[in-house]
Amino acid sequence: MTFLDALHSRRLFCDGGTGTLLQARGLKGGELPETWNLLRPEEITAVHTAYLEAGSNILCANTFGANGLKFPAGGPFSLEEIVTAGVTLARDARAVSGREDVYIALDLGPTGKLLKPMGDLDFEEAVALYAQVVRIGAAAGADLVLIETMSDSYEAKAAVLAAKESCDLPVVVTTVYGENGKLLTGGTPASTVALLEGLGVDALGVNCGLGPAQMAPIVEELLSLTSLPLVVNPNAGLPRQEDGKTVFTVSPAEFAVHMEYLAGLGVQVLGGCCGTTPEHIKALITACKDLPWAPPAPKDRTLVSSYAQAVEIGPRPVVIGERINPTGKKRFQQALRDHDLEYVLGQAFAQEEAGAQILDVNVGLPDIDEPALLVEVTEALQGVLPLPLQLDTSDPAAMERAMRRYNGKPMLNSVSGKEESMAAIFPLVKKYGGVVVGLALDETGIPPTAEGRLAVARKIVETAARYGIPKKEIVIDPLTLTISSEPEAALVTLEAVERIGQELGVATILGVSNVSFGLPQRETVNTAFFTMALQRGLSCAILNPNSGAMMGAWRAFCALTGRDPQCAGYIAAYSGQAAQAPAPAAVLSLGDCVLRGIREGAAQAARDQLAAGAAPLELVDRVLIPALDQVGQGFEKGTLFLPQLLMSAEAAKAAFEVVQSAMAGEDRPSQGKVVLATVQGDIHDIGKNIVKVLLENYSFEVIDLGKDVPPQRVVEAACQPGVALVGLSALMTTTVVSMEETIRRLRAACPQVKVVVGGAVLTQEYADQIGAHCYAKDAMATVRFAKEVYKQ
Amino acid sequence: MIHAPRQEVLRYLGYRGMEPEGQVAALIDARTAAVEGAAVPRWTALELPLALSQTGAVLGTWEIQSQKLATHLEGCTSALLFAATLGVEVDRLIARSAAGRVAQAAVDQAAAAALIEAVCDDACHQLAGRYPGQYLRPRFSPGYGDFPLSAQPELLARLDAPRKIGLTATSAHLLAPVKSVTAVIGVAPTPGKCHAGGCATCSKENCTFRR
Repeated sequence: MTFLDALHSRRLFCDGGTGTLLQARGLKGGELPETWNLLRPEEITAVHTAYLEAGSNILCANTFGANGLKFPAGGPFSLEEIVTAGVTLARDARAVSGREDVYIALDLGPTGKLLKPMGDLDFEEAVALYAQVVRIGAAAGADLVLIETMSDSYEAKAAVLAAKESCDLPVVVTTVYGENGKLLTGGTPASTVALLEGLGVDALGVNCGLGPAQMAPIVEELLSLTSLPLVVNPNAGLPRQEDGKTVFTVSPAEFAVHMEYLAGLGVQVLGGCCGTTPEHIKALITACKDLPWAPPAPKDRTLVSSYAQAVEIGPRPVVIGERINPTGKKRFQQALRDHDLEYVLGQAFAQEEAGAQILDVNVGLPDIDEPALLVEVTEALQGVLPLPLQLDTSDPAAMERAMRRYNGKPMLNSVSGKEESMAAIFPLVKKYGGVVVGLALDETGIPPTAEGRLAVARKIVETAARYGIPKKEIVIDPLTLTISSEPEAALVTLEAVERIGQELGVATILGVSNVSFGLPQRETVNTAFFTMALQRGLSCAILNPNSGAMMGAWRAFCALTGRDPQCAGYIAAYSGQAAQAPAPAAVLSLGDCVLRGIREGAAQAARDQLAAGAAPLELVDRVLIPALDQVGQGFEKGTLFLPQLLMSAEAAKAAFEVVQSAMAGEDRPSQGKVVLATVQGDIHDIGKNIVKVLLENYSFEVIDLGKDVPPQRVVEAACQPGVALVGLSALMTTTVVSMEETIRRLRAACPQVKVVVGGAVLTQEYADQIGAHCYAKDAMATVRFAKEVYKQ
Repeated sequence: MIHAPRQEVLRYLGYRGMEPEGQVAALIDARTAAVEGAAVPRWTALELPLALSQTGAVLGTWEIQSQKLATHLEGCTSALLFAATLGVEVDRLIARSAAGRVAQAAVDQAAAAALIEAVCDDACHQLAGRYPGQYLRPRFSPGYGDFPLSAQPELLARLDAPRKIGLTATSAHLLAPVKSVTAVIGVAPTPGKCHAGGCATCSKENCTFRR
């Protein structure tokens, strides 16, 4: 019987802890347990044999920490020998036992590094590290790949892709939840299930972190979410310190009682983790082996996820923000061309605050590298934004690259009923996972009737099924046409929404605002149409969440239809608004707003002054710059401090943006270009960001290269025409070395360019020693030096 | 819940005994609360036998070349490896502020720095409770004096810190998540003579943030 046959026909039992057993046999602190596969194989065999005798069916090869980071090429141990020996020892122990119901798992643990952007391990490097081990382990004869103790969804994704791309073995993944019910990197049971089911693993579950009693609520939640067999491998309780040692205190008998309870809830695979011994596993198996077994029940739940949270489509309508899209937006187009991610993030935060649950991400512009840009924007968003994303592109190559890098299970916009589109998109959905928007159009165009759109929807659902994609992963867009050109258009769409939901049992989505194209007061029409569509069963809407009327319609609909218990969402959004005093009229002048750091006030005052006829450049020269100077001088004299300096800078920035937009395409005259970078190896970039804001206020054009920047990239940027100054930051003594290297190469390649340095460990002497032209003790000092450089 | 002491937040922001007012004070209070809300503080420690040599300290089987560390551990009978982190959500919070709200990011940064120190102090207080009749010396971290930052990966590996508390090091030996601390803590039968850690061991004497 293969592992998968066994998994789907009976309860299976994993082995238990290995580390404590090996320590009892003499493994020292700092010694890598996997080295014992070669150095002390008899001890590893003894552990396997003990678990076989206890009755385990799934035996983990001693490969948990074996990867190319811990066993680099050229090191004292060969990774290939370590992993091969690990799998072989487990196989040999099974052969000696004579049991045929035992499966050998190639055991993959975390790499020990954090992935970018929180750490420095690139996603594809992580995939490559795991792939290397999987190839060796599969060749050595493992029966399955067990990816366990994962506390980062992104790393788990890398490991699953590596396993699926490097072998044909079944893949099982278990993750670690803390006492707060979350992964260390923030994921929830729902977001994890969404990701792993999307990636097509064969079973999933939970291990380590908690004891069996503390795991119960998480197990219950997982059971309500997953359609896959569930694996539960707890520790022997929570760790406790005794005489300076970590001990686990749940006895085998107590462990078995809790595990019997979990088995009764419907868990298919049970075993142990830290602190559990063959005695624990034996007691567990004795308690559970005769309990009735049932396969997991299929769950008809449509989930999309981010690193942090899942959004379910179905129970109540989902709002998808449409603002990350350059179509018809000059400022957004420019931001994309300039790789101005801060602007894009600003659009994302505003939609999140307005109540969007998922954000659509479209970066399609002529003459740009859309695959690269979609990945860049997706990575920037998922680094800081907990909302799931809807990847929106007509380019399958861009779709694939963004899906691969996406930290979660995305929504995909879109596939259509065209054969070519389905052939391009469905294999991606099958491989990476995703909830895909199916447009109700095909080679013949958009069917004019609801019946025709239903037929296309049916074709999409049936074709998806042939790729192994269930209908719960599809959301049909019956398409919104414009009523000003086709009076019946809205009625057709509404009928299609209802029939697709009722006759196909498939969720629906609409881009609502098309309906009013060409009409005045569009929001009035949009809001009414949106409410009508909700009433006909619409599951998701792509709309502008900054529109108060649309969000109001949505919140009111949820409250009116019992989808907002106690009207809590409605009340949270609107209570207190009426009671709020009207905003005080702009009593402060523009200069005062900047001095006091009042951002909205500064923008409003600038608008007022422009409306009253002030010349834009005059506002800059006569009001904004003098106010900034005053704050800057106060900072340098020590009468005011960094937060105030920065709040004033931000207030000024808000005013500059108003002034800029009043200048109708003309730019403020630039004082000069400054390249800024946090040097290679360093990920602390707050200082650099502060400098950037201040330089921009003083009309310098900043080319911000970001953090962890290799010397060569700094040199390339510095050699561009018009650049006379480079600013480098470094926080740690170790990274000052890379600052020195960057300066050396700058001086060789572009000797005319000046270099200013700053950062916590730097001093004037240190700066002189590494060849900088200027040491800036704070941000204002950089501004002063920049002015000096460009005066010459 | 452990709080970031306000005076420490102000010190990291460069205030020297002065009180911020109005908008700034409100920002500092709001962002301190935000950082405290995002933090999931975790720490771990491991006691190891200690031997001192001419050139450094030997903790269990780990030989560390650092005379400053050896001096710091004089008179100790054993030593603790220690690591603590606020978790990755605080890094995200700061990164989020940094995208367009740099004043907020600077305050986040200061609140997080104050909070991780408070978490470490609380952890050391708990640890001290495990050693009745003995004394814990101040934390001595990689990067202090001649205790090299390159000790970071080994220190983390011996604590199993990546798995236990999600704390890792980058290839440049910086901690990730950023708002984290690692240290060696001596355990001694007698209270030490003033073994100051932190600022007093740092050679940057004109630092704005020096205590």
